[in-house]
Amino acid sequence: MSNVNFKAEGSRITVFFEGHIDSANAPQVEQEVNQAKNSGAFTDATLDCEKLEYISSAGLRIILRLRKDIPTLRLINVAPEVYEILDTTGFTEMMEVQKAYRVISVDGCEVIGQGANGKVYRIDRDTIVKVYLNPDSLPDIQRERELARKAFVMGIPTAIPYDVVRVGESFGSVFELLNAKSFAKLLTNDPSSLDEVVRMSVELLKKIHSTELKPGDMPDMKAIVLGWVEFLRDHLPAGQYEKLHRLVADVPQDNHMIHGDYHIKNVMLQNGEALLIDMDTLCMGYPVFEFASIYNAYAGFSDLNHENVRRFLGISYETANEIWEKTLRLYFDTDDEKRLREIEDKAMLIGFTRIMRRSIRRNGFNTEAGRAEIENCRRRLAELLPRVDTLTF
Amino acid sequence: MTITKTQQGSSLNIALEGRLDTITAPELEAELKNSLDGVAGLTLDLKGLSYISSAGLRVLLCAQKTMNKQGEMIIKNVNETISEIFMITGFCDILTIE
Repeated sequence: MSNVNFKAEGSRITVFFEGHIDSANAPQVEQEVNQAKNSGAFTDATLDCEKLEYISSAGLRIILRLRKDIPTLRLINVAPEVYEILDTTGFTEMMEVQKAYRVISVDGCEVIGQGANGKVYRIDRDTIVKVYLNPDSLPDIQRERELARKAFVMGIPTAIPYDVVRVGESFGSVFELLNAKSFAKLLTNDPSSLDEVVRMSVELLKKIHSTELKPGDMPDMKAIVLGWVEFLRDHLPAGQYEKLHRLVADVPQDNHMIHGDYHIKNVMLQNGEALLIDMDTLCMGYPVFEFASIYNAYAGFSDLNHENVRRFLGISYETANEIWEKTLRLYFDTDDEKRLREIEDKAMLIGFTRIMRRSIRRNGFNTEAGRAEIENCRRRLAELLPRVDTLTF
Repeated sequence: MTITKTQQGSSLNIALEGRLDTITAPELEAELKNSLDGVAGLTLDLKGLSYISSAGLRVLLCAQKTMNKQGEMIIKNVNETISEIFMITGFCDILTIE
C-alpha cells in the first residue's frame, strides 16, 4: 500500500500522507514525494495529513526537504497525535501547521434553534454548536470567530467562541450556551421595558465605542463606506456624488470598535447584563457609521414599507422610531431638537447610501419594488446633501 | 463555587473551586473588588476549578487590568479543560499562567 498520493493544479500541488511513516518506509515515501514534486513546476505546496497517523524523524526529514524545494509548504488537517510530534520537534514554529477540525456528532442532540444558514444544537450543559448548511462557509465562520475572539479579549461582553468542528460534511461553530433573552423578545413580552432596553443598549454601545483597537485589527468602516459611495458614482448627479464622497473622505480616521449591525435582536440579557451577539460585522471607525446602521435597522429599511421592521425586529414602526429617538437622546445626552436632527441627517445620509447600493446590487432596477426603493434613496440623498456639511458630531 | 482567600502582607492568594459561570462570576467579582486594595501580588489558584464561562473570563480580565496598575497577577494549577479554554479564547496571551 502506498503512503503517498498527490493532486496537482497549475503551480499548486497537494500531497497526501497516509498511515505510518517511519524509517522502514521513508525511502519509498521520499521517492514518491519526489515523483510528485517533479511532475510539474510548483510554487505552492500543501501537505494534507488527514490520514496520517504517525511520523518518525525519517518522515519529518522528507517534509524538510520538500519545504527546501517549495518554501511555501503548509501542513493541513493534522490530527492531534501528529500535531504533538510536530510541536515538540519545533515544526509548528518553522512552517504553517493547521490542526484537523475536531469531528463531533449531533445525533440525538436537542435542536434549540434554526436559521437561514443552519441549525443550532445543544451538545452539553454549557455548549451549543451552530451547524452551517453551506459547506463552503468555512472562511466566513473563521472570520466571525476571530472578530468575536478579539472583541471578547478586549472586554466586550459576548459569548465565548470555542472551536470550529466538522459535523458530517458540514462545518460547525461551537459557542458557550447563553441563558439569555434578546432585547427584541423582552420588548415583545413587556412593552413597558422600552426605556430600560434603550438604557442598557446605549450603555453597551458606549462601551463598544470606547474600545480602542490597533490599526488592522478589524476592517476599517470608512474604507467600506467609501466603497459604497464609489459604487453609486454613475447613479447620482455629479455634484451630489462629489459632495457625498468628500463628506465620507473627510471623516476622521478612528480606531474604536463599531458593531456594525446593532439592534435589539443582537443584544441579549443574561442575569441583568447585556451581551452582544452576531459579531461578523465588527469593524472600527468613527461612530457616525454605527448610527447609520442603527438608523437603517429602525427606520431606513422601513422607509417605504413600514411593515418591514415588524418582520425584521417584531416591533411596530412607531416603537422602532421611539427606540431610535431615545437612543440618540441618551447617547448624545441632549434634548436639543436641532442637534438631534443634525445627527440624524448624518446617519441617514450614510444609511440611504448603503440601501441604494444594496438595492442596485440586488438587481433592483429590474423589479418594481427595487426601482421604487432606489428612487426613494435618490430623493432622500438629494434632500439631505444640501443640509449636511460634515459627518462628524 | 468556593472562594478561599489567604493573605500575607501585600500578597493575596485566591483558590477557586467548582464552576466559575454566569451565576458565580459576580461573587468573585465582588470579592476581588473588596480585596485588591494594596495588593501587589495576586495569585489565582484554579486547581479545583471545573468550568469557566465567558462571564468568568471577563472577571479574570478585569482583575488582570487592575493588577497591571498595581503589581502582578499569576494564575496557577490550570487543568486541561480550563487550559483549553484559555488557548481557544486567546486568554493565554493576556494572562500569566504558571
